[in-house]
Amino acid sequence: MSGNILTLRNVETYYGPILAIKGISLDVPAGRIVTVLGANGAGKTTILKTLCGAMDPQKGKISFLGKEIQKTDPDKVARMGIAHVPEGREVFPLLTVQENLMMGAYGRKDKQGIKNDLDLVYTYFPILKERIKQKAGYLSGGQQQMLVLGRALMSRPRLMLLDEPSLGLSPLFVQDIFEIIRRLNQEQQMTMLLVEQNANMALKHGDYGYVLENGRIVMEDTCQNLMASEDIREFYMGIKDEGVRGKRRWKKRKTWR
Amino acid sequence: MSKPVYEPVVIEGCDTIIKLFRYRVRQLGKKVAMREKNFGIWESFTWEEYGKKAREIGMGLISLGLKRGDVCSILSENNKEWLYTDMGILGSGGVTSGVYTTDSSNQLQYLVSDSNTRFLFVENEEQLDKYLEVRDKLPDVKKVIVFNPEGLHEFQDDNVIMIEDLYDLGRAYEKEHPECWDREIDKSDPEDLMILIYTSGTTGPPKGAMISHRNCMFQIETFDKVTELSDRDEQLSFLPLCHILERLVTILIPLKSCGTINFVEGSDTVPENIRELSPTIFIAVPRIWEKFYSAIQLQVKDATRFGKWFYHLAVGIGEKAADYKIRRESIPVGLSMIYWVTKKLILNNILRMMGLDRLRWAATGAAPISPDLIRWYLAMGVEMFEAYGQTECTAVASTNPIGDAKLGTVGKAIPGTEMQTSEEGEILIKGPSVFLGYYNQPEKTKETVVDGWLHTGDVGIRDEEGYITITDRLKDIIITAGGKNISPSEIENQLKFSPYITDAVVIGDRKKYLTCLIMIDQENVEKYAQDHNIPYTNFASLCKAEEVVDLIWGETVKVNKKFARVEQIKKIRLIDQLLTAEDDELTPTMKLKRKFVNKKYEELIASMY
Repeated sequence: MSGNILTLRNVETYYGPILAIKGISLDVPAGRIVTVLGANGAGKTTILKTLCGAMDPQKGKISFLGKEIQKTDPDKVARMGIAHVPEGREVFPLLTVQENLMMGAYGRKDKQGIKNDLDLVYTYFPILKERIKQKAGYLSGGQQQMLVLGRALMSRPRLMLLDEPSLGLSPLFVQDIFEIIRRLNQEQQMTMLLVEQNANMALKHGDYGYVLENGRIVMEDTCQNLMASEDIREFYMGIKDEGVRGKRRWKKRKTWR
Repeated sequence: MSKPVYEPVVIEGCDTIIKLFRYRVRQLGKKVAMREKNFGIWESFTWEEYGKKAREIGMGLISLGLKRGDVCSILSENNKEWLYTDMGILGSGGVTSGVYTTDSSNQLQYLVSDSNTRFLFVENEEQLDKYLEVRDKLPDVKKVIVFNPEGLHEFQDDNVIMIEDLYDLGRAYEKEHPECWDREIDKSDPEDLMILIYTSGTTGPPKGAMISHRNCMFQIETFDKVTELSDRDEQLSFLPLCHILERLVTILIPLKSCGTINFVEGSDTVPENIRELSPTIFIAVPRIWEKFYSAIQLQVKDATRFGKWFYHLAVGIGEKAADYKIRRESIPVGLSMIYWVTKKLILNNILRMMGLDRLRWAATGAAPISPDLIRWYLAMGVEMFEAYGQTECTAVASTNPIGDAKLGTVGKAIPGTEMQTSEEGEILIKGPSVFLGYYNQPEKTKETVVDGWLHTGDVGIRDEEGYITITDRLKDIIITAGGKNISPSEIENQLKFSPYITDAVVIGDRKKYLTCLIMIDQENVEKYAQDHNIPYTNFASLCKAEEVVDLIWGETVKVNKKFARVEQIKKIRLIDQLLTAEDDELTPTMKLKRKFVNKKYEELIASMY
């Protein structure tokens, strides 16, 4: 584990006239899971889209493995080793499971390596192997999530960008998915940037976290410390200390300390 | 001790605030008294409604056992119920005391027990919880009344009722005792204690200043003389009503002017609400005026080169014209014409953007302000004047007469009062505005009011024309190790004029040199950091960034140039926590508390010596 695999410095991205992220600086150390928390519209997804090249930042620097990658085309970014697992799964519904996975290896030529990685994916997601010939559109949500994780792995990335992998999944599946994410991190030393609304899960499995609000980072710390923070507990995990009347409906003011 | 007795002030044949209120309700009837924004729509409330609700609350309180002179406390943000309740309490012979919504439950407990509060009004369940946490220590509170029942439908407590219940009680009592309301109002006397205003205690716990009907009647009568109020005035209410200034402005002045009060939705919607309403008179603390100014500076920085050029041209012309005003000379015809054109073409548009285009005049007070800031507003075409005062003299002691202002001074004593300086340079005030004393603290009162002269605790100078210049709080004056007397607030005000600095505390009492703790302006410094590619993540890391420290140091150096050698700030440190009104470091009007800051940041300060 040596140094930061990815660094962002003062990144600003617009949607037309709207400034969605207002100067973000963050670091992703190799071999770690870094998580970005935030409410709807905080700018989490925009960060990932800016990273993978789907959006161009107006300002700021993004460097990946020592090279500046801002404003690089998405396909080049993918070839450099950043795999984006988009929000809402986005499988190719009419292709089979195996074809979907092979789409992940589209940029690769080493046949043996691809075969090995395919086997690896099947060991992590045995359910996919059972449905090898099935069209991806017929998979359940959780299976589709596994499929896109597998597809991302097929490009043998150095960094995975995970956009709300827990979205729309049953609690049991959420646990499974995070279990696999953690195993990938530990066994394959996969570095991950994880964007989540499910703060509880993200903080449990992540190493370091940033809290995003209105396009700005308001807090950063190790996930352990964040879990203990009162603001995080109240606003992101929904844990409230009991008020005098038993339940407390009103919210304290955020202080971000 | 001889207590000077002042004649009652009579407005429209009334000698107390509550009699005047009754008169206005009858006189104005369907005229709009206030507006409040509910679910995105501005709703109007008439004087008739105001009178009816106040009456029901007053009668309700009497039916619950309120006696003349009993204190009732209100813990709420500014809203129409605050006003209904205030007048209801006064009408039934009670005394109103306000509690800041940012106060903790312990502070609430102190204020309620110190004032012997019998009835407590709270805004909503959040504020109610504060009471419930300390209720065991407050056995004398007979009833708690909640303005907003949201979230409390299942809540049952013998001691707590909703405001609607109180209205019902009031109506029922009224049926049986129809003459009670008028009888109680007729009993009010100009010398009666009317309200308690707790002053933020920088030394020791807060003290309740006793303000009488006469104090308030005198104050609104004089305010009208100084500023010429109008019944078409639109005012905005957003500073806490527990503060004497806002109390005077929001509740008392309309009783004289018959103008309309508009309540903002929340503290973060103030700029939008100003744009929507475009007030005609505006009285605010320097912090607000600094914010407006900073916002414009920020926008100018983002403007096109063309836009910038126009702005600087217009402000340049405005400042030339303002300088004539400041010197109290008439503007030469040529300049006056050019200024008129720039106003029409440029400056008025900027004011319209801010929502200040209808302003007849603007006032600043309650804290020191940089003269440069007033000059800027004058240049923009806003008739701004500075006033001075404190709780103990019912808010206003001196004002800079419009058109006859002396920049840098806080003006002349208001008509009917005298101002002097003592041998130590302390400012003394005598007149019908001087308060009755501190509640249950005769010793403190004796120290503060001697032979009718109120000792303000401020040091200042009075020139031959009677204009007063405030140097500082008596206890804030810094005496350096070299024996030089230095007024920190003069330096601090210059620092605060920088768009990057929100507040500053100069330190150096019994030290070799001066240093300063600075609170940066988050918005503007973040923008600076973005423009200059300075990486940061959160507020703390922003304050630590070397370039930001350099920026603030640069601003400090600029200010240093304006001061003498002994007054130079040698080192600075930034406060790297974003402070809110809930924090003990700030007063509810968002001023840094010097004493508290000195203590809390002891180590940080020590690191500079």
